[in-house]
Amino acid sequence: MSAVVVDQVTKVYVGRDEDVHALGPVSLTMQRGETVAIVGPSGCGKSTLLRIIAGLDDATAGTITVDGRRVVEPLDNVGIVFQRDLLLDWRNILDNVLLPTEFMANPGPNLEQRARDLLDQLGVGGFAKRFPWELSGGMRQRVAIARAMMCRPSMLFLDEPFSALDALTRDQMGVILQKVQAAQSVTTLLITHSIPEAVFLSDRVIVMSGRPGIVLDEIVVDAPRPRRLAFREEPAFAALTRRIRLHFERTGVLVE
Amino acid sequence: MTVVTMTAPKRRSRLPEIVGAIATPVLSAVLGLGAWELAVRGLALPPYLLPAPSLIFQVIVDKWALLWGQLGFTALAAAVGFGIAMVLGLVAGAGIAASRVVDRMLYPWLVVFHAIPKVVVAPLLLVWVGFGLKSGIIFVVIFTFFPILVNTVTGLKSADPDLLQLTRSMRAGTWKTLWKIRMPSALPSIMSGVKISATMAPLGAVIGEFVASNKGLGHLLIQAVGSLEVPLAFAAVVMISVFGILVWYAADLIERRVIPWHASQRIKTP
Repeated sequence: MSAVVVDQVTKVYVGRDEDVHALGPVSLTMQRGETVAIVGPSGCGKSTLLRIIAGLDDATAGTITVDGRRVVEPLDNVGIVFQRDLLLDWRNILDNVLLPTEFMANPGPNLEQRARDLLDQLGVGGFAKRFPWELSGGMRQRVAIARAMMCRPSMLFLDEPFSALDALTRDQMGVILQKVQAAQSVTTLLITHSIPEAVFLSDRVIVMSGRPGIVLDEIVVDAPRPRRLAFREEPAFAALTRRIRLHFERTGVLVE
Repeated sequence: MTVVTMTAPKRRSRLPEIVGAIATPVLSAVLGLGAWELAVRGLALPPYLLPAPSLIFQVIVDKWALLWGQLGFTALAAAVGFGIAMVLGLVAGAGIAASRVVDRMLYPWLVVFHAIPKVVVAPLLLVWVGFGLKSGIIFVVIFTFFPILVNTVTGLKSADPDLLQLTRSMRAGTWKTLWKIRMPSALPSIMSGVKISATMAPLGAVIGEFVASNKGLGHLLIQAVGSLEVPLAFAAVVMISVFGILVWYAADLIERRVIPWHASQRIKTP
């Protein structure tokens, strides 16, 4: 059974003058432990789709099923990382990572040790008692990933998590993310507008059209994990990114 | 696969910065007072017109017991009134921010009330509660309530929507979201209101004493001016000012303690 089933989901925003058809109909599935990347132009509804799957927004039509249950409220087994790290300035790094446990009825034992282990795993263990403003953008985003993983979620949703970072830091974050995924074995949904990032990090890439976003193509990335940065220089990688680029050129998203 | 691990750098001493922050205003005060003293002596101005700083200082020393006693009365009215305003402002602000019904019922009336000139209310207080501490306290509440209320409402309504969405994804309830996210997010705004109100509290107490009290520095000031004891009036003004400055720095210190993480507390003035 698929971990996530999205069936004919659409989203229409009701406006004062006219309605905005933002998404769909979209159908897709995610297998347990799989990393699926959704790539598409700005405004195609990919972030909206993530929020609908996470139970943070309602679909206008269609259904979402996660582990066999229909989604009608925010999921309790998902960690989310947004484009902005959204760390709380008034809490130190350790307390930021511990935040989700404070909303749980029974968060379990050894929470602080787990938070410290996650920070170590992400390479920012030395900053546990520092505050967010003392960290760089890349370090803050590592902390946001640690926070998302704190409650041992079965799913990790990433909404353009590296888009505000510089190119080198993005590369590093991609490497770190794979390490965390391998250690925690989570089903991952990655929203991105970067074609190379989608191919490098995922098992399957879903290509979406411009608004209203529909699925143009599903591309399996058949390459062993963890992937090294050098994978991006291989012919297979170039072939996959070219295939996605052609979709965007054909639909007028990319014009030369 | 290798992950780059970073180590935190050591913190630097803040001592030179603190010394600079104290020495600079002290130096400017000494220069200002020196110029005033020289002007009064050089122009041979009579004390009933403009007393020299040295004479005001002498009056403060000679009448310390009187001034201290009156300051105590004014400070009590300011502190109690400010405390009441803070509780009322925070509770009403939280209610207005949390409920649209409370907002629509309460806010317009509070705006109307705020628009009424405060000094106009003073004679009415005299009729309603008579002379003394009570009128001073009520006057301070009237003066200081609104900034706290407005800033509390603004702060609570300005929580980052993305942050609220993140906490929703963590399945946070309304109260925990209020306590752990909305309230800390609102603290910089609330502290701005508290600081404005804290400095208005002595002013409110003194104005209250002008018209509806037989005690306090405000009452002493009016009496001294009436009997042409201008140096004593200046001494009262100095006491009020020093009290106001101390209240400001106390509020500033509290703000630093409450929101050390906020950008306003981290910016260094060159």
